[in-house]
Order: sequence, then C-alpha cells, then structure tokens
Amino acid sequence: MRLSIDHIVPIPMRDKISEYHSRVWGQQLQFNSGEKIFIQAPSGTGKTTLIHFLCGLRKDYEGSIRWSAFKMQEINPEQLSQLRASSVSVILQDMRLFPELTTWENLEVKRRLTNTVSEHDAEKWMERLGIRHKMDSLAGKLSYGEQQRVAIVRSLLQPFEWLIMDEPFSHLDHANRQRAILLISEVAEMNKAGILLADLDDNNYFTYTRKLLL
Amino acid sequence: MKPLKQSKLVSKLLLRHRSNNRLWLSLVALFAGTTLLLVAVMIWWNFSLILNGSASNDSLGSTFLTIGKQITNETMGKKNASLYTPREIEAVSAAPQVQDVGMLVSNRFPVYASLSIANGFATDMFLEAVPDRFMDNTPFGWVWEPGNTQIPIILSSDFLNLYNYGFALSQNLPQLSQSTIQALAFDLTIGRGIYTEHYTGRVVGFSDRISSVLVPQSFIEYGNKTFAPTTPIAPSRLILKVKDPSDKRFSDFLKKNNYTTNSEQLRWNKMRSVIEAVASGTGILAILLMGMGTLVFILFIELTIAKARQSLSLLLLMGYSPRYLAMFMLRRFVPLICVALGMAAIVAIAAQGIAAAQLLPMGLTLPNTPGIWVWAALLLSAGVLISFVSKAIFASLRGNE
Repeated sequence: MRLSIDHIVPIPMRDKISEYHSRVWGQQLQFNSGEKIFIQAPSGTGKTTLIHFLCGLRKDYEGSIRWSAFKMQEINPEQLSQLRASSVSVILQDMRLFPELTTWENLEVKRRLTNTVSEHDAEKWMERLGIRHKMDSLAGKLSYGEQQRVAIVRSLLQPFEWLIMDEPFSHLDHANRQRAILLISEVAEMNKAGILLADLDDNNYFTYTRKLLL
Repeated sequence: MKPLKQSKLVSKLLLRHRSNNRLWLSLVALFAGTTLLLVAVMIWWNFSLILNGSASNDSLGSTFLTIGKQITNETMGKKNASLYTPREIEAVSAAPQVQDVGMLVSNRFPVYASLSIANGFATDMFLEAVPDRFMDNTPFGWVWEPGNTQIPIILSSDFLNLYNYGFALSQNLPQLSQSTIQALAFDLTIGRGIYTEHYTGRVVGFSDRISSVLVPQSFIEYGNKTFAPTTPIAPSRLILKVKDPSDKRFSDFLKKNNYTTNSEQLRWNKMRSVIEAVASGTGILAILLMGMGTLVFILFIELTIAKARQSLSLLLLMGYSPRYLAMFMLRRFVPLICVALGMAAIVAIAAQGIAAAQLLPMGLTLPNTPGIWVWAALLLSAGVLISFVSKAIFASLRGNE
C-alpha cells in the first residue's frame, strides 16, 4: 500500500508553516510499501496533527492524503473502518486505552475484531514486553510505561501494511524500549509492513529508509 | 485465559452508562401505548363485526328499521293515506344508505284468537308478514302451506314485556315466560260469517327487531286472497335494511316525507357513534403515549451513546465499523421493543378472549382471538418504532464519527 502526501498544510498552522521550510508540510511525498520512515518533529511543528491526519482523525488541512486508492478527504466511514482494521495500525502518543477494561480486555477488543492473531501469540508478546502479570489489572491503573507497552501490543494484533507511531517509546526505559523495537520489527516484517515513526529527537530505533524534518 | 466474547466487551464499553430507570420508563410507556392502540383497534373491529358482519341475523339488527307514515289530523280519516304506493316504495329504495326494502303486509281479514285452556280469554287481533330475509331469526317450523292447520307465530319481545311488566301486574294476572308462551296453543278463527276457517296458532319465537305479530308470508297472502280478494294489498309499514342510519341524509329523507320510525331502534347506531368516538379517543391517546414512549426510548439511546462517546470514538479508531456498532445497538434494543409489543399482544389476546366470553351470554358471537386488523396494527407500530429507533441510532453514531 502506497502512502501519498500531496502539499498538505494544516489550516490552523498555515501562517506558522509558511515561515520555515518543512520537508513534509506543503511537499509532495510518496512512501512505498515496506519503507521505514522517521519524521523528526520538534515541539510545536504539528507532529501529532500529522499523525491524526494520516489515520483520519482530523480533516482540517489543505492538500490531499491518499492511502493507495483511498483519498482521506473523501473516504466514507465504512471504508475508513476497513482501512483502520486491516491496513493501517496506529500507536498514538496518548495511548488511548479503555481505562475501564483490564489489560487483557483492551487487547481482546482489538484482537477479536479480525481474529488474525492467536490468543497464544498475544500472551507471548505481553510476556516479551513484561506486562503479562498485569493481564487482569485495569488499564486505568497501569503506569504510563505499562500503558505504552499495552498500546504497542494492541497495535500489533491486527493485519497491517503500515504501522504509524507517535512517540511510541516516550515512557519506556532503555531495556523495555529495545524489547518493544525488536517485537515491532518482527511483527512488521511478518506483515511485510512499512513503518512511519514521528518523534521529537533523532534516533535509530529502526533501519530507516528515509528521515524527514517536519 | 478465559475467552472473552467480543459483544460482551463492546457492551461493557457502550452500555455501561445506560440509565435503567429511563429504559424501564420508556418500555412501560411503549407497552401501555401499544396495548391502548390494539384495544382501540379491537373495539372498532369487534363493533364492525357485530354491526356489519355475518352476524346480521342477530338481535342487534340495528341496520333494520321499520318505517310508517305519520298519522296526522289531516290523514286520520283516510285509510289509504297511511299505505305506501309503489312509487313511494321505489323512492324509499333509492334513499341514501338504504340497501333493501321489504313490505310489512297485514291481514285484510278478521282474525279472532281464543285460548281454550283459559276459558273466556279471547280477542280480535291482527297479523303481519315480512319477507324472511328481514327477520332477526327464522325458528324451526317457520313454514306454512295451504292445508296446514298449524300457524307459526313470531311475537315481538316488546309485546311480551308490555304484558309481563304492565298488564299482568296491574290485572293481577300471572307473568309468563317465553317458554310458557311457546307451549300454549291458540285457536285462530279467520274470516267472517259462514266463510271462516279454524287454525291452531303457536308462538315459535320472539323478535327484537319487528314490533308486530308475524306469521309466514304465505299465510297472509293466502288469507288476503281468499277472504279479501278485492281489497288492494298495499303495505302500511316498510322494513328497511340501512347501512348507516346515523347518516344525516337518511334521517332528512325520513323527516321530509313524514315517515316515522322507532327511534329506539337507532340505539345501536347511536352507540356506534359513541364507540367510534371512544375508539378514536383511545387511538389518539395510544398514539400520544406511543409517541412519548418512543421519544423517551430514543432519548435513552441517544444519551447512552453520548455518555459512551469516548469509548465509541476509540472503537471507531481501532477499526470497528459504524455499521457493526449500529447493528450491535439494534440487537440490544430491538428485542426489548419486541418484548414490550409482545406483552401488549398477549393483553390484546386475553382481552379478546374475555370480551368474547362476556358477550356470548348476550347472544353476541365474537371471535376468541384478535383479527387481522389488530395484528396489522401491531406490525405497523413495530415497523414504525424500529425504523425510528434505527434512524436515531445511526444518526447518533454518525454524530460521533
């Protein structure tokens, strides 16, 4: 699945963006399937806004975003849900877990939507990220680091061609971050999926094919 | 790890904030509204059956009226003035709402009745005949052919009532039951002077519809031909089968022509107006109540969805489709609507059964189960309700996208 970004500019940030040269805003970009993209975005440059545009949470921009045949401005709700369920998975900065559900229930809500990952694999991945013992804890009671790891596992419990991540390791220590990077790489490889990661500072978490400054 | 059902998880997320009080309130309103609606339809349907249906031969012959010409000071002395001419009969046939016209033909020969077991009980009397199709019942033995010595008689129930509650009490005579009267045999002498014939008369039934002493038409025709061949046979009263006697055009026709009728015979038609008013009133109340119930139900659903807004947005972000979530909500709420409507249907079935049982002793036969109109009303209200609720669910979800 190819991601095409064509001269997009967030309407609320239009004036600010015109003051500096961004490699993403107002540019024409094409990301091919399987690519690993890093977008470095200093504070206030619209990193989260971009991620929200990509997964269809916001539409207040000029230009166009296209996931292969789907143009995000014109996509209907059923097509959008299809795209999210089977092609584009996302880890948002604020994790967005259901606080009233347990860790396991949070994962099951996602896993049972497509049933493409086994319960056994899901448990194994939790084990690898060190959150298996928190299975029955309410998500709202978990630490930020634990919540981030649950959000990572959850994003992998579906088939995907692209994994979009917004500061996915911001609450993780070095060891946990390494384990998460390894798991994500393996599962992305398994799905032959591309990765798009946005973060504040430069990093080499993955073997990026392109690095862009927002 | 214990397997978790997807629907249970979604239910936990979307229905956790629901207000059960509002849900029960709306379901009770829906149940009451639907019950009232079905009762209104049943009242209308049952009464239509009694008035217009196959039971037209029963004692609620409200659509049968006997009319006569009003006797005024001017017409008092003229014997033929009270008789109907063929042209007048034709005009009555063509009057609004009139479906059929029959002639009440009376005897043009003397009739003298005596009771042999009660020595001294004797009286001159009159007889009348109408075509059988206008009678409320034709009991067994209601035939007469020349040569038969037995004459069946149908007596107006009013006459028996007049005797029992008026004459018998004032004269200190015994009151008589219908079966006693039917057991008595009268000696009937018809004709004058040497031209007389003797018959035995027996009351075989009673009529609520026609205030007269009725004998088979064949007997009156025979008697008039034999004993009064020269007297013209014209009817003094007509019996009408009328579709809706409460129609103003029909009553205006009677008034214009100075025709009289027994106003008491219109009581069922008056009652029909009352019943129709009651059914309409109940129907309007039912629709109002159902409307309120639906409104509360829809508000309940909208509020539940609004309270679960965050979970809903997150489910959509994870790839749950709006259609799946709408169908999930429908699967949860439509069975509740069906239960409320089902209970209303059970009440309607019970009410029809009770009404049929209660009216049977009054000689009115009603079906034991509600008819097609009641089911049609139920299906229609279910369809309208479900479509409103579906629209509300889809609209609320669309607002969350």
